[in-house]
Amino acid sequence: MDRGPRLFPNPWLLLVFEALFVTASETLLKVGASRTERVAGWEWTGLLSLASIWIWCAIALVILSFLCWINVLKYIPLSIAFPLSNVVHVLVPLSCWIFLAEHISPRRWCGIAVVILGLAVVAKPVAKIEEKL
Amino acid sequence: MTREQTIVAVFVFATEVITTVVGQLLLKHAMEGSTTLGFAHPRILKLFGTGVLALAISFFLTIGLLQHFDLSFFYPIQGSTVVIITIAAAIFLREKLSLQLVIGSLLISAGIVVVSLS
Repeated sequence: MDRGPRLFPNPWLLLVFEALFVTASETLLKVGASRTERVAGWEWTGLLSLASIWIWCAIALVILSFLCWINVLKYIPLSIAFPLSNVVHVLVPLSCWIFLAEHISPRRWCGIAVVILGLAVVAKPVAKIEEKL
Repeated sequence: MTREQTIVAVFVFATEVITTVVGQLLLKHAMEGSTTLGFAHPRILKLFGTGVLALAISFFLTIGLLQHFDLSFFYPIQGSTVVIITIAAAIFLREKLSLQLVIGSLLISAGIVVVSLS
């Protein structure tokens, strides 16, 4: 496996940033969308939300996450990077819970735990490879 | 929902999953190639452009599906893309697939299904 540049941008670090940017953008999209006024006939297009500064921040974060992602793909196999990028399914609910005070049901916590377990199973052999190098 | 609507929905679902998988495979192929050929190489740009186009199509199909279905119904199908992409990467990009990787991907998919059902 080509590990790419040693310091920044380290592809594994970029993968972490990609997930954090996605999480932040999803949270801000929710904030922006809920603060947008509802005008009949327009609400489904989502276009009115463009008046919100939060939505623009979210769009900027989506672009940043994409830039990180394509650089991750330069060095990390897709069969490892894509499963690991699904850490957002853990981070987004946590972010909603912490910042938006949304309620998370016990069953959802169980689902989050299963995702974490899956991530650990995928990440373990990777950590071994990295150790040997 | 009528029979015709069901057929359309299944078709849109399938197209959404396929464009996501194809888009990610093309992006991966392009970015890997860019390390040797350079990003500005016509072949790389073509792969990259097609990949972005495929992901754009899947993005808008997702929005269209969200207008017709509950997120909780639709999300598990997105969760399944984890397993599909892992296996597709092994087949089309000849990435090494370990049993551990497959089990991990299955667990992540299963977790996403549980999260969306609650």
